[in-house]
Amino acid sequence: MCLINLVDYTIDSPEKDYGFDKLDFALSLGDAFAIITDSPGRAHMFLKTLAMLVEPVSGDFYFKDKKVDFSDYRNLLPCKKKIGYIASDSAMIGNITVRENLLYMRYYFENSLSLSLDEITKKLCKNFGIYDKLDMRPGRLRSVDLRTAIAIRELTKSPDLLLIERPENFTGYTNLDLFTEVLRDMMLTKLPIVFISYDRDFIEEFSNKKIFLKDGNLDIVK
Amino acid sequence: MDYIAGYIGRKATITTNHISNLFALTYRIFVLIFQKPKAGRALVRRITLEQVYFNCVQVLPIIIPIALVFGSTLIIQFAKVSGQYDLGKTMVMLIVRELGPVTTAILVILRSATAVTIEISYMNVFHEIDAIEMAGIDPMRIVCLPRLIGITSAILCLFIVFDILAIIGGYLIVWVFTYIPMGDFMTQIGKAITATDIAVGIIKTIFFGIAITVTCLKHGLSIKELTTDTAVSISKASIECFFYCIVINVITSILFYM
Repeated sequence: MCLINLVDYTIDSPEKDYGFDKLDFALSLGDAFAIITDSPGRAHMFLKTLAMLVEPVSGDFYFKDKKVDFSDYRNLLPCKKKIGYIASDSAMIGNITVRENLLYMRYYFENSLSLSLDEITKKLCKNFGIYDKLDMRPGRLRSVDLRTAIAIRELTKSPDLLLIERPENFTGYTNLDLFTEVLRDMMLTKLPIVFISYDRDFIEEFSNKKIFLKDGNLDIVK
Repeated sequence: MDYIAGYIGRKATITTNHISNLFALTYRIFVLIFQKPKAGRALVRRITLEQVYFNCVQVLPIIIPIALVFGSTLIIQFAKVSGQYDLGKTMVMLIVRELGPVTTAILVILRSATAVTIEISYMNVFHEIDAIEMAGIDPMRIVCLPRLIGITSAILCLFIVFDILAIIGGYLIVWVFTYIPMGDFMTQIGKAITATDIAVGIIKTIFFGIAITVTCLKHGLSIKELTTDTAVSISKASIECFFYCIVINVITSILFYM
């Protein structure tokens, strides 16, 4: 079963020229794609496309073999819920605390506001050194701590697919080892990932396929 | 001539499109009120209460003195001509029917509508709306719905506070600090006020609340990339809110009193 299948998928991005024309791409369980490109903007657009954050001009998006209907954004929500998106434009809600941000999904879907962080999230927060900052608003955090909190939120949402942009920058080099450790454990469960990284060691360790992205065309090399 | 006709045509199309979008957004949010999924109820309730707190409780220290000043000034002015007019009836006509709802709406526009537009546009520009969607949560339900209910309830409560304080508080101020004869003012008010006056005030404030919230949400959500667009958006949203409130006020008054 393909987790994601893009067929003749066209994305328009006229002002920045990061679009894709009739793209075909399939991603299954256990796939780990590293994106190799000289255009970080286009690679970012590709991640956004996989995260369903860009509406296509034409083509079909299949998620778990079901065609996704982009005509109403509400159709995308159950799919987006299962995608972990750790990228430069990932954000936290600014008017609540980091703890509330980490609990937001559970607040909503468990319909309760008297929840506390589960043990895994607590452990990650402690390991990444943001545990004592959980009751701050995201705006008060250092940017590296904020990005770490976002990474923790996405890692702990039990994703079916993980999209990561520049992990070495996202969590900072000091936390990269911790991040790779968590990622390694998650990948044991055959969690598919697509990532952009300039860290050769990271690419070698985590990818089993490479996407060469040039001028809107994909070349996949195993 | 063609240029002018073209300009008018384009403006008319843009305006019609904008107003249709506002009605569509209102409809989308209203549909959510009647859908009652179990998920998210507690969160929606909390955000709604927060909005009532921000837009009603925090506005009280501003609206109380304004209502007292308005009420006492009007009573002083109209007490001087009470030989010609019935003071109680005049106060009901001015405060309950017209000034109460409009002044409350203006205060909410100045204080809260601008804040909502900024908040929503920043949420959009800084991808917070995307973050909510990536959590599988409908931003309409968690962002728009609580604001619509919260701000509309807040305006309604503020209208009641304003009217009571403007009439009773204004009367007390005049009674304590001046020697202006007013006869049995409260009896006149009691005789003058009708159920229609109260109903019209409530209807006006509910429509004001809906118009203000939806206009601000629409302008906030239409900012996609540039934070510099926010300033323009706030300016447009405030003026539009004021204009819609005046139009709603006139239409409601015509419907009920003409």
